[in-house]
Amino acid sequence: MAPARLGQAPPETGRAPARSRRRASLLADYGPLGALVLLCLTFSVLSPQFATWGNLRNVLDSAAVLAVITVGLTFVLMLGAIDLSIEGVMATAALSVALLIANTRNDIDLGFLAIVAAVALGACFGLATGLLSTGLKIPSFMTTLGMSAIGIGIATVLFAGVQPSVTSPAMGEWASGQWFGLTRLTFVAIGVVIVGLLVQHYTRLGRYARAIGGAEDLALLSGIRVRRYKTIAFTFAGAVYGLAGVMVTIQLGSGIVQAGVGQNFAAITAAVVGGTLLSGGRGGVLHSIVGVLIVTVLVNGLVLIGVSPYVQGAVQGVIVVAAVAITAWPLRQRLRVVK
Amino acid sequence: MSAPAEAPVLAVHDVRKTFGETTALDGLSFEVRRHEVVGLIGENGAGKSTLLKMLIGLEQPDSGSIALRGEQIKMRGIAQAGAAGIGMVFQEQSLIPNLTVAENILFGAEGDAIVGGMYRWKTLRQRAQAQLDKIGSTIDVDAMAEDLTFAERQLVEIAKVLATEERTNAEPVVLLDEPTSVLDRDEAEVLFAQIERLRTRASVVFVSHRLDEVLQVSDRVYVLRNGSSVAECVPGEVDEAELRRLMIGRDLEGSHYSEERQLPVQDEVRLRVRDLSVKGVCESVDFDLHVGEILGIAGVQGSGREELCRGIFGASATRGSLEMDGRPIRTSSPRSAISSDIGFVPAERRREGMVGTMSVAENITLPHIADVCAGPVLQRSKERRLADDWIERLRIRTASAAAPLASLSGGNQQKAVLARWMVSDSLKLLILDHPTRGLDVGAKSEVYRLIRELTASGVSVLLMADSLEELIAMSHRVLVMKDGRVTDVVDAPVGAKPTPVTVLERMI
Amino acid sequence: MTVQIEQEPPQTLMSIEWRITVNSMMRSRRGMALATAAGSLLILSGCSAGTEGTETDVTSDAGSTETPDSSAGGTCAPEEIQLIGQVRNETNPYEKAWLDGGDAFAESVGLTQTRLTYDGESPKQQEQLRQTLSTGNPECMVLNVLPNGDSDTAPIVAEVDAAGAYLVTHWNKPADLNPWDGHDTWISHITFDGVDAGAQIADAIFEEMGGEGGIIALQGILDTSAAKDRFIGLENSLEANPGITLLDQQAADFDRTSAFNITKTLITKHGDEIKGVWAANDDMALGALQALEAAGMSDVAVAGIDAVPEAVQAVADGTMTATVSVDGPWQGGIGLAMGYCVLTGGLDMADVTQEQRAFFARQTLISAENAEENLTPTANLADFECGNLFDRVTGPVS
Ligand SMILES: Nc1ncnc2c1ncn2[C@@H]1O[C@H](COP(=O)(O)OP(=O)(O)OP(=O)(O)O)[C@@H](O)[C@H]1O
Ligand SMILES: [Mg+2]
Repeated sequence: MAPARLGQAPPETGRAPARSRRRASLLADYGPLGALVLLCLTFSVLSPQFATWGNLRNVLDSAAVLAVITVGLTFVLMLGAIDLSIEGVMATAALSVALLIANTRNDIDLGFLAIVAAVALGACFGLATGLLSTGLKIPSFMTTLGMSAIGIGIATVLFAGVQPSVTSPAMGEWASGQWFGLTRLTFVAIGVVIVGLLVQHYTRLGRYARAIGGAEDLALLSGIRVRRYKTIAFTFAGAVYGLAGVMVTIQLGSGIVQAGVGQNFAAITAAVVGGTLLSGGRGGVLHSIVGVLIVTVLVNGLVLIGVSPYVQGAVQGVIVVAAVAITAWPLRQRLRVVK
Repeated sequence: MSAPAEAPVLAVHDVRKTFGETTALDGLSFEVRRHEVVGLIGENGAGKSTLLKMLIGLEQPDSGSIALRGEQIKMRGIAQAGAAGIGMVFQEQSLIPNLTVAENILFGAEGDAIVGGMYRWKTLRQRAQAQLDKIGSTIDVDAMAEDLTFAERQLVEIAKVLATEERTNAEPVVLLDEPTSVLDRDEAEVLFAQIERLRTRASVVFVSHRLDEVLQVSDRVYVLRNGSSVAECVPGEVDEAELRRLMIGRDLEGSHYSEERQLPVQDEVRLRVRDLSVKGVCESVDFDLHVGEILGIAGVQGSGREELCRGIFGASATRGSLEMDGRPIRTSSPRSAISSDIGFVPAERRREGMVGTMSVAENITLPHIADVCAGPVLQRSKERRLADDWIERLRIRTASAAAPLASLSGGNQQKAVLARWMVSDSLKLLILDHPTRGLDVGAKSEVYRLIRELTASGVSVLLMADSLEELIAMSHRVLVMKDGRVTDVVDAPVGAKPTPVTVLERMI
Repeated sequence: MTVQIEQEPPQTLMSIEWRITVNSMMRSRRGMALATAAGSLLILSGCSAGTEGTETDVTSDAGSTETPDSSAGGTCAPEEIQLIGQVRNETNPYEKAWLDGGDAFAESVGLTQTRLTYDGESPKQQEQLRQTLSTGNPECMVLNVLPNGDSDTAPIVAEVDAAGAYLVTHWNKPADLNPWDGHDTWISHITFDGVDAGAQIADAIFEEMGGEGGIIALQGILDTSAAKDRFIGLENSLEANPGITLLDQQAADFDRTSAFNITKTLITKHGDEIKGVWAANDDMALGALQALEAAGMSDVAVAGIDAVPEAVQAVADGTMTATVSVDGPWQGGIGLAMGYCVLTGGLDMADVTQEQRAFFARQTLISAENAEENLTPTANLADFECGNLFDRVTGPVS
């Protein structure tokens, strides 16, 4: 059925149409990676300890929790929505896992099920956010802010003035153990990143998240159940924040309401630095993870090269802005609207 | 009627421009003389839009030079171009939806309509109205751009660019990138009259895929192929067929509309529409669409035909009944329409037709992801094969199936949008709202052929087309709509096609 | 509700010492506001014992009450006296212990303390006090109050002045508002010296290190006075101990996770040179402890401030060297005792010196020796006798 001249390049053009077989790359542009490499090179020159195996482990271990959070957040951002519920969800997850596993406050010990329960609780938060945002058409900014308040509220009630410390010996042993010199939590984070990548790249959820973020009208006209997939994305993100709350609890050995303090802003920063834009439709898990590494390396490197703590905040700010500039460099000439 | 031999107003010499691995302009030279209308034609992706964007400063050439009125210039942006007297109507519309028509027309060039940072609305309105009057338009200057129809917006864009002529002392250069692709023939005539008027004090570059128009308005025509100019012709010395041959590099085989492939209508009814109403725009529409039939819908702006089609697809709320292959169906949402095997190509590609940031392949498979999924898991290699296949079939010019759709030329984007529905094996009904908008001649005839092939395999088509000629040639029957009602049905069998005038008479 | 949180001056930080959570909460004022909101939820749901104003009736039990010395100016019969303690939250162990201390004192004199909590909401605090003052005989009331922030103290004082009730405040007050400036019934303002606390724990780790070696310092949020004062204390001790070098100092924002990560990085940087970790609060000390454990460095001296239960436990276990306690139960009892003594004639306002009307109180270093007994802090009733009220004064608030 193909017309006769299909398949042959027009002979007299003098130039075959460019039809190179570049693979669909996970990282659509290399700006963020460039910024990360530049940052690493600079720190390596300025500090002999930076480029050591020991420090690499440090950086990876420190990035673990933020990386997990950011994977979840990325799906929400790709939709063109925002998530401000991270601190609340993590707080509830942290307290509930600490109270459900062997602890100093009660006699409950669900073991591994406690972790599952906390993650499920996180997913419930995400589900609620998703249903509220899509059902009542409340902007995600408001619903997630509300969810955060609810999460912190529940966590405070659970906290009840006495901090539950985890006494489960198995958990303590597991948390302090290492594989290849990296904490086990780092492998959990790597696992989550891989799952995130697979979901983004190989499932409808990932595809639809980008389509909805890119053009919601079209997504509707293509018969995509936009509400359902938005809700699924929020639920996935909530589950992941729940896991992050569990990770912090394992790390600290006790459940605290502040498990997620500061993480929401850090995760949004990391995602944006990495090229996952708040306007939706762009970026992805790998972008966000590069952003997480940029943010983490920055904190680590500034300590190593001995920048005074009094100016570190300002220096960090300058470097983040510079990193974003580098990140956006490959896009600079396009008529791109930035909001 | 060629222009006097003096220094050209605009001279482009040997420019090159690549985007990654795609060469958009490949050593192109071109000039525009004083008071001249220059036609620019070429296949989709030949580089026409890129050339114009370069002239207005939105793209920078990799090499080569541009001279304006004899001086070498480097255009850095629209503001600079505007100051130098170059204005442009973009192929993809560029009005700001939440501003009024008046604000849009004078956007960035408010001049005395802003005093001390404050709008002087009266002046703004008057000056905007003056521009609209030039093209004889009755559009309300206080209307919001987003409330206008597609064609109305295009007219506003043209009015906007005409405002350039008042802004500069030098004679302006007006660049029109496919300004007529969404206009009716008579709206287009108004534009041509304006071009004639402009000619007395300006130079115009006119891009169109409608070769008759190009021959009608241009003094000279450049034919672009693969980023360079392959011919420079003077209308009168060439005809459409010759231009077409130059553009594509060979003769087109078969007839333009593949009329020889129009099969007789089968008896079986595919879609039975009874008493269908869309609130406020169309009322009690009845018709039968047969298996393998192309039913054209003719009607002017406001006849309700777009809304009718959106209603059938579930994108607008309807009352009435639909039967598909004898079984009643309800299309309460696009999703339910799609599950009844209905497809829809909207006219507004940029807003409703594509996700620019997603790849060609991803855009193609969007509504039928289940076909390339095992459960919730995407099979990317399968998707890739499918996309590659359709890129081949429709000759979509793209660096690869993984390139973002936004990086393709307008016509190629449209082909990808069409491919989206053609991939489905079970498709029964395809609603096409101006499917060939912005496509070049070659691509158009390929699309026509593809539509014919679809009908041959039993798919029924509801068609709204760019021109009556196209509509009549493609359709088995033409449904004429007026003020939200079906006023007539005109048979259009092969060999006995009605004339456009016959249909037009019933439309108004 | 957030408004007053924003007004909260840095010192407030110190006022919630035991609250394991509060320091890091300062990073998120919203978080804090929300947490207190949730606290009120908890109270409403009746999840915790003894909440707002329970009983105000006076049990008369003359036998256990000291005989008032009317010559010293006692104006109220003991059974008429109303004792009121007001803090932010009972969900915070430190403040709960504070109110318990107040109960202990009240019981010792045969009275009942009215426990008030205002959830960290300034307007609520003011409203509660107004209510209380209007429901009894203010002249026989003693209020032992933790003002929400510096700016809340002036209206509280004005209210109490007008009603004629006796008042003792803790932690927060503007520098230019002082009891001796014509506030006859504002007996005293009690607070604690961050410089001293910083120095005490520094000395404890230096001693543990044998007077030499390198240490790292983990600072709090740099622009809070708590962080500043405590670090000055460290600097003072460093001057007195030339054998000790400060290898590095970083801000870990009073936060456990930050401290954990920063300590790891500092271990990479300085390795075994680190013999001690000075942390501006216990949360950070506990974070550092975990990082050290992960690196297998068990012989590093680590100290913090606040005496949060987990840290006291760590000191008792020997994994941490020291922490500093401000003694909540004492604070809860002492203010009530001061007022009770004045009203019953045990203390004459004329005898109270200017230094005693706004003073730094002694804070206790908790080390291996006394950690066990501090695991569950209780009030020592002897501290509340009229003659011992000012025993813990270490100096005037400068
Ligand atoms: N921003 C871009 N990034 C990558 N490739 C681009 C970009 N803009 C244009 N191209 C490529 O350059 C070539 C020329 O595109 P151009 O838009 O100039 O075509 P055109 O002649 O206007 O076609 P049409 O008739 O379809 O509008 C096309 O192959 C297109 O894919
Ligand atoms: Mg074009």
